[in-house]
Amino acid sequence: MWRKPTEVQPSSQPYASPNPSPSRSEEVPKSSSFQPQGQQTPSASSLSASPSSAPVSSNVSKISSGLKIQGDVSGSADLYIDGDVTGKIRLSNARVTIGPNGHVQAEIEARDIVVDGSVQGNLKAGESARFGSSSRVVGSVVSPRIGIDDGARLRGKIETVRAPQPSKSSPVEASSESDDLSPVASGVKSE
Amino acid sequence: MSWTAKPRVGSAAGAATAPSKPGPAPAAPPAANHRVSNGLKEFLWLIGDIPKGRVLDLGPVWQSTVSFFVDKGFRLSSEDILRAWKDFLTSEEEKLRTAAVGEGNGRLSPSALADKFLQNALDYPEKSFHGVLAWDLFDYFDAEAAPRLVDRLTSLVHPGGAVLALFHSRPAERFHRYRIVDAQTVELLPASTIAVHSRVFQNREILDLFEKFRSSKSFVGRDQVREALFVK
Repeated sequence: MWRKPTEVQPSSQPYASPNPSPSRSEEVPKSSSFQPQGQQTPSASSLSASPSSAPVSSNVSKISSGLKIQGDVSGSADLYIDGDVTGKIRLSNARVTIGPNGHVQAEIEARDIVVDGSVQGNLKAGESARFGSSSRVVGSVVSPRIGIDDGARLRGKIETVRAPQPSKSSPVEASSESDDLSPVASGVKSE
Repeated sequence: MSWTAKPRVGSAAGAATAPSKPGPAPAAPPAANHRVSNGLKEFLWLIGDIPKGRVLDLGPVWQSTVSFFVDKGFRLSSEDILRAWKDFLTSEEEKLRTAAVGEGNGRLSPSALADKFLQNALDYPEKSFHGVLAWDLFDYFDAEAAPRLVDRLTSLVHPGGAVLALFHSRPAERFHRYRIVDAQTVELLPASTIAVHSRVFQNREILDLFEKFRSSKSFVGRDQVREALFVK
């Protein structure tokens, strides 16, 4: 299970990516408010990489509580969101975690999706989607595996699709069984 | 879809722990309150052959219910309509409280409230679902909202589709949520009360409520809960 990356940080890297990956490309077209909130991660940027205890990757970016981002996010690094994100998140080979303080209004495509906060938008996971007890989701969920803790609130369609067999390169293709998302997409509210 | 109800022997549903049955192991501890549900059995019999059938669960989302349906190839939609209703009412009250004197149109009538609620609830295309699990939510909606809710569900259900609803024969002592354990067992989960029991429906009232459905069947358990199955 994902753990919030709060441990040792290379404090001298304000925009640090300890494991800079050439494929990592978080795009933040409109950065509305990039105010660091004194989180344990020392990075002053909206997206900061931090070491992670998660077994899937050591390349984790974090949007801390208090930060707001509007725009699209894409790339291959794992992403932890504890702030506000509006737009589109596409990390097909990575894990996206919405922390307890995270508020996301976006479609999310990722290999693994973990939600403990609030999401409004359709979710497509290539391998798994997990909803914690504090999660609040409005939107459809398409994933080969779905885990839901008691107390989770989900409004929308839940659909499982077969996981891609040979590689993890195209999890979105795995949802080809999914004939449409329209019924649920229409059910998504944007109050 | 033909509606040939199969006779059931001993339709009474017990509140005791269900005997061991084939199928997925219950996610709940053994002491959980399981209820044998003939209504669920019939519901599944009705929609079981539909490839990629779509089911709408109007209660909270539970892992066991999700797993049950997706394992059978269904697509499940979930909308906790009772909580949404309560949140809506709370929001409306808050608006009234914070509105300045002379601002707005004052308190809405129950029918207007119900209409307003349904503008944003259950917003799916017509005939989206082959089955709807309504549980006992109609007991908790007022006399204005319940018929409107049924009207909306009527439009959402595919012809031949089914709605499973539960009705208490006396005011429920506790507020429960429901989740599926296996094909004939439902688990009642005591929950904090989010809505007070509004009314007890008589048989005729239940039939009138679902008058647009072409057939119905009901089972009364020893706990005096009536499981009603309606086919469109």
